[in-house]
Amino acid sequence: MEIKDLSDNTGEWLRGTGKESDIVISSRIRLARNIAGYPFLSRANLKQRREIESSLRKTIIERKIAQDVSYVNLNQATAIDKLFLVERHLISKEHAEGEGERGVAFGKSETVSLMINEEDHLRIQVIRSGFELKKTWDTIDEIDNLLGESLNFAFSSRFGFLTACPTNVGTGMRVSVMLHLPALGMTKHIEKVFNAVGKLGLVVRGLYGEGTKVSGDLYQISNQFALGKSEKEILSIIESVIPRITSYERMARKALVMESKDQLEDRIWRSYGMLKAARMITSEEILQLLSQVRMGVNIGLIDDIEMQTLNELFVLTLPAHLQKLEGCELDSTQRNVIRASYVRKRLDGL
Amino acid sequence: MKCESCNKKLATVHLTEIIENEKKERHFCEDCAQKVTNHFPKAPSPSDILTSLINQVSPEIREMSKTTCPVCGITYLEFRSQGRLGCPMDYNVFKKGLMPLIERMHGSSQHVGKVPANAGAEIIQKNELIQLRKELNEAVERENYEKAAELRDRIYELSGNVEDGD
Repeated sequence: MEIKDLSDNTGEWLRGTGKESDIVISSRIRLARNIAGYPFLSRANLKQRREIESSLRKTIIERKIAQDVSYVNLNQATAIDKLFLVERHLISKEHAEGEGERGVAFGKSETVSLMINEEDHLRIQVIRSGFELKKTWDTIDEIDNLLGESLNFAFSSRFGFLTACPTNVGTGMRVSVMLHLPALGMTKHIEKVFNAVGKLGLVVRGLYGEGTKVSGDLYQISNQFALGKSEKEILSIIESVIPRITSYERMARKALVMESKDQLEDRIWRSYGMLKAARMITSEEILQLLSQVRMGVNIGLIDDIEMQTLNELFVLTLPAHLQKLEGCELDSTQRNVIRASYVRKRLDGL
Repeated sequence: MKCESCNKKLATVHLTEIIENEKKERHFCEDCAQKVTNHFPKAPSPSDILTSLINQVSPEIREMSKTTCPVCGITYLEFRSQGRLGCPMDYNVFKKGLMPLIERMHGSSQHVGKVPANAGAEIIQKNELIQLRKELNEAVERENYEKAAELRDRIYELSGNVEDGD
């Protein structure tokens, strides 16, 4: 499969299915693993890096960890292809910007992706639509077991899975649930969520993980600790927190409808109008517009757009996706024009 | 004004000496001033200042700063400045410095989660024991004695087969 074949569709995690999918966009788990007998990447020489890459790549392909696995060698990929994979959440920004022999393997549905030679030798990721942590864990646990039969992971009974950064040591697990919280954002109650979540050892991040800013009212809640608690315990902490946040968001939406119905509806319909009529839309603006319209669908105001279409537009209108779609490089003005026309086409087609 | 000792450099240190009620002004350059009096210590170098700062903030770094990993060659100071370890062995070599850091990050320093599929039977059992002990403590805290008794029996059963301790 070639990267260009992906540009007009998205991974299954954007389907808008699964539990609480009106608010929970996706459930993601990643596991960090390193191969015993090799240094971590900051100390690995070229030969070691190549050996790690080739042994992991071969094992992943042999073990058939997912359906129709594709492999992209990032050392040879173009800048746009790398950005494209970041936008789809198949690789991290750090992995795209890294150097040397490295790559990513992912299944056809893009539920499973395996980054080779990122910060650790191997980062396994499983991402599913909606609030589906149990299913997500079952999938990643199975892949980890399968790979663990052929590979010798660096492990100590004291510290667990050994990772390049001690913040990941232990389970090597990070669970991230992506939430759409426009009403909490609008009413400024989001700060309270941040504080409460922080006390539980969880952290709130932007759309693309660590150090990225919040846009389109999309937030990722993840665990900070990875040691001293089992995978199941970490999952159950997050499992118990998310429903409280989603019901808080629902309450805030109800309050908005009751207290400022006209302003809220005006804001949502204006956003919808902009998406359907604008001739140029920046990448920052589209996130805000999509966020408003998505809430409009959730509160039953707009009924002629599928949730899946809206979820997908969050990704399909990103810069590298537009350039892939057009098949050429575009400057930001050109992108704004293409973005607006692409959105009009998608919305009129319904 | 030139230094009265070397007569070359500019005098920047001006001392007033009082010997037997007699006051005397003396003028030196920085280097000569250090030779004639110990009241004028040499200004500390930037690296001295940094080291003393590190010592105040984090005594573990002073103790560990000379430690180097024999496998990957990374020093403890390099790890602290980059935040990334060099190889799995570092967790042993830098254990003393890492323990408080790990405690602070995770609130614990003992793994209780998954064990790799092909780890030796002994490691698997040892980690199961750790997990069971943790569950036992929790059961006792919740006053769930039935569960606690069950866990205790399981711990007895397992600890017969495995050398305990870390």
